[in-house]
Amino acid sequence: MAADALRLDGVHAYYGDSHVLHGVGLVCGEGRLLGLLGRNGAGKSTCMSTVVGLLQPKRGAVTLFGKTIGGLAPERISAHGVALVPQGRRIFRSLTVRENLVVAAQKVRAGSLRPWTMARVFETFPRLGERRAQYAGSLSGGEQQMLAIGRALMGNPRLLLMDEPSEGLAPQIVAEVGRTIVNLKNEGLSIVLVEQNIKLALEIADDIAILNSGSVAYQGAAATLTMDHPAITQNLGVH
Amino acid sequence: MNLWLVLAINSITLGGLLFLLSAGFSLIFGLMRIPNLMHGSFFMLGAYMGSTFLAKGFGFWPAALASAASMAVLGGLVERFLLRRLAGQELAQVLLTLGLSFIIADACLMVWTGDPIQPSTPPDLRGAIIRSGLVFPIYRLAIVGVAIAMAIALWLLIDKTRIGAMIRAGVDDAPIARVVGIKVSQLFTLVFCLGAALAAFAGVVGSPYLSIYPGLDAEMLPLALIVVILGGAGSLPGALLGSFIIGFLYNFGQAMFPDLAYVILFVPMVLVLVLRPQGLFGRVAL
Ligand SMILES: Nc1ncnc2c1ncn2[C@@H]1O[C@H](COP(=O)(O)OP(=O)(O)O)[C@@H](O)[C@H]1O
Ligand SMILES: [Mg+2]
Repeated sequence: MAADALRLDGVHAYYGDSHVLHGVGLVCGEGRLLGLLGRNGAGKSTCMSTVVGLLQPKRGAVTLFGKTIGGLAPERISAHGVALVPQGRRIFRSLTVRENLVVAAQKVRAGSLRPWTMARVFETFPRLGERRAQYAGSLSGGEQQMLAIGRALMGNPRLLLMDEPSEGLAPQIVAEVGRTIVNLKNEGLSIVLVEQNIKLALEIADDIAILNSGSVAYQGAAATLTMDHPAITQNLGVH
Repeated sequence: MNLWLVLAINSITLGGLLFLLSAGFSLIFGLMRIPNLMHGSFFMLGAYMGSTFLAKGFGFWPAALASAASMAVLGGLVERFLLRRLAGQELAQVLLTLGLSFIIADACLMVWTGDPIQPSTPPDLRGAIIRSGLVFPIYRLAIVGVAIAMAIALWLLIDKTRIGAMIRAGVDDAPIARVVGIKVSQLFTLVFCLGAALAAFAGVVGSPYLSIYPGLDAEMLPLALIVVILGGAGSLPGALLGSFIIGFLYNFGQAMFPDLAYVILFVPMVLVLVLRPQGLFGRVAL
């Protein structure tokens, strides 16, 4: 049996003294798309930071394709095949589009069928190709999001983490981002998609995990969930 | 008329030296988020080392390069073995660089005594060019030429290479740079070596003109600090512009309003800090 792409087991994480993740456990199967939902402040981005190594878990294990990565530095974890599309995009604003992709390029993993190159990113996002010499800070929000995704793909990841990629984008751009995510999944990439846009997540995810106040309140198949399911209304509804 | 010309030449000469000094200071500040308070020490110690290499029979430019190389090694050691242990504790890092600057100042006093040393100008750059009654000292012009050549080389390195793009990415957003796989801590070492080498090079090149004496470090450091606050941390064009602004303010200020020399230098810095904290060209507020 193939190992899970990502497993968090009893992960506790702190910002200084503030205890944010209280024993988070979740699983993203290989080649699957896990939607990670939760209210603002539930700890979704903190989970992402813990996986990529920006935050060290105090307790618990983070396992990537069967290998423990807890405690490694971010650049090491990146070399293990994890890429992040951060919340708020955080592209390198004073670098050109091309440079944003160049600095993120990583050695291609053995056995990778269609490795990501700059040419392939431009093929996938033609707008980025047209703007390759432009400073990333001058791009529109949607283009910046494409660039953040392209930058993550340049690392040729096995696991792609996306933190609210639809945030602040116009509906037609959100749809485009959604299609891109589905295409990536269809290529076999394992993806964790953090979303506030519940509808989008339910539509494209295979599995759903819901975080509430720093622990997982629900994990199950996306197909069994609807907007009026108690797991959704209780954990995501406005109080 | 001639006084103005002399002042202007002195200003661009100082501007060129300040650029060599502050380019590295700016990159270190932008990437590591700390003002390296031993940057003036790299300048002074570099100048002293250069004078020793000269005394040992090195030519002027080989002495400057040898001094730059030895300061690069020292800078690399300081970053790898001292600053890195304090990673993430910016205040402790700044205090460490301050402490090291005092240690270096005392060590220099011991080794080179307190008497000023003035290395002689390289023989083929002595004298002056006289054009329509105006006198241009050749060595000062050479300093400017060297500074411009270095500025171009640095610009090529930072703007046109992948390593340079990685450094700029680290200045923009260091945590995310690490997440995309950039080994930011190696860039720290590289930038620290480079900054130390440039400062030492500036120290040697400036020594026939400034001479070398105890306290030179403490005189240069505030100038580098003002340059970088004016220009913006991490920005080479900012450091270039800031250096020439300060070069002119310093020389014209001292000539015209000697009592207000420091006011004239620091008022622009205070204004920039209050009105535009990211500096003229900078991207991140200090
Ligand atoms: N850098 C930080 N320092 C201190 N507390 C933080 C930091 N980032 C987030 N938090 C806190 O951690 C909790 C979880 O935040 P986050 O993971 O960003 O939530 P989400 O992404 O689900 O909206 C919140 O209470 C937030 O205030
Ligand atoms: Mg978040």
